[in-house]
Amino acid sequence: MSDQKDTPILVVNHLNIFYGSFQAVNDVSFDVNRGEIFGLLGPNGAGKTSTLSAIEGLLKPRSGDISVAGYHIQKEPLHARANMGVQLQATSFQPELTIAEILRLFAGIYGVEIDQISIQKRLTEIGLASASEKRFGQLSGGQQQRVSLLISTIHYPQLLLLDEPTAGLDPQSRRQLWDRMEAIRENGNAVILTTHSMEEAEAVCDRIAIIDHGSVIAIDSPEAIIDCHRHDPEVINVSRKGKITLEDVFIGLTGRTVRT
Amino acid sequence: MERNIPKTSTVLSTLLRADFTTQYRNRRSLRMVLIIPLAILVSWKGLVPKIGGGFVLSSCITIGLISIGLMGYSNTIARDRDRGIFQRLRVSPVSAWTIMTSRLLVQIGMILIMTLLIFLVGYFYDGVVLSPLGYLICLIMTIVGGALYLSLGQAIVGRIQNPESVNSTSRLVYFAFIMIGMLGQFGALGKTVEVLVDWSPYGVVQKVLSGGLEPSTWSTNTGMSLLLTVVYTAIFATLGIKWFKWETKK
Repeated sequence: MSDQKDTPILVVNHLNIFYGSFQAVNDVSFDVNRGEIFGLLGPNGAGKTSTLSAIEGLLKPRSGDISVAGYHIQKEPLHARANMGVQLQATSFQPELTIAEILRLFAGIYGVEIDQISIQKRLTEIGLASASEKRFGQLSGGQQQRVSLLISTIHYPQLLLLDEPTAGLDPQSRRQLWDRMEAIRENGNAVILTTHSMEEAEAVCDRIAIIDHGSVIAIDSPEAIIDCHRHDPEVINVSRKGKITLEDVFIGLTGRTVRT
Repeated sequence: MERNIPKTSTVLSTLLRADFTTQYRNRRSLRMVLIIPLAILVSWKGLVPKIGGGFVLSSCITIGLISIGLMGYSNTIARDRDRGIFQRLRVSPVSAWTIMTSRLLVQIGMILIMTLLIFLVGYFYDGVVLSPLGYLICLIMTIVGGALYLSLGQAIVGRIQNPESVNSTSRLVYFAFIMIGMLGQFGALGKTVEVLVDWSPYGVVQKVLSGGLEPSTWSTNTGMSLLLTVVYTAIFATLGIKWFKWETKK
């Protein structure tokens, strides 16, 4: 266990994940530092969600180590999970419960004391002051996403994991989410997200890792990755407007073939 | 700031509050669980003098237990698994056994409510009066019998992933148990079926409950039924836990 400011909040070491004989993640290693937004990018089936699932403790890797806030995810899963917040790709809650009841449920699970006044305050902060007695299913996609994020951060986690958080959101909701991620970073906490949006990666991520066929093929800040690959023939070949973008580098590195 | 894991008792009470609220608001499931045993209890009023109050009450409670295990528990678990509700809980600092304990405690609560309701309707409408000890032993036996049907529900939801398939399978098994169980016990399906039903999950639970309601009639046969109830429960629970996956493949 450690809470030293200079140690990474997340350490992934030589991670290998198999589904039967198929290797989904191949010797993946990276760290995420406190006060950092870290993006996992890759085509469909590249191993992003498998990596994230292993960090969440939902998937048991064949080998490798993962520690969150100094806690090994396999050996001390509850301690590790207590220090992280997770927003899954498809989140749902019991349809019979109101938003206030869902907030109370997750506050209790994380050991956070919450009363009606603080529930109202937190809902007001995300612009959903009148939603406390509504059911999750009655909210719009953007509102559901805000509630999900509120629940993921109800215990002010040191590490927040977001699996494609902006998929299906309108530009306003997406910007609002980016602002929230940046606020989390400013508080000294870390965010790791998977995304297909290069715009998002460039806009909010301090560092990114590009994963393809289960392996990390590039890891650095978006600018550094662009600089490093701007003269690659494959990257120049896929460039559309003369200016090399992160998307050009991504397609140059992972290929033009559409993955399913 | 480092956060410690909350006390198990805090987490369990929080989960219980949410699960009881969910159960209470799920009126359709409540109706499904209560309507058939109560309908049988009311319609069998005339049979009480012939077949005995203990037999009538134990048959109705057995059907209620089958409803809870097959129609209530398995369908709720299948639905919540399909919607990713379990996955959301499993990424928080809650152990798997705490999640399932809360779910099972809610079902035990339902079992007790259903049993007490049957006792009350049996007493006031059918005029079934039994000894206080009989009611007490039966109440305890409903937990034992309920465990059998909850474990059967667990085996179904473990084996089958799709919630619609779980729903249709549990309905099929439910009606098969009721029809074959009741008709078989009355000898309407022949001697062989009667013997098979007697030692089936339906028959053993019904006998244990009947023996509990009238302790003076408790026999070796009832003891064997109790033993078989435990054996069936162990088999279904082992299979249900072994097969169970927390998420459905989409």
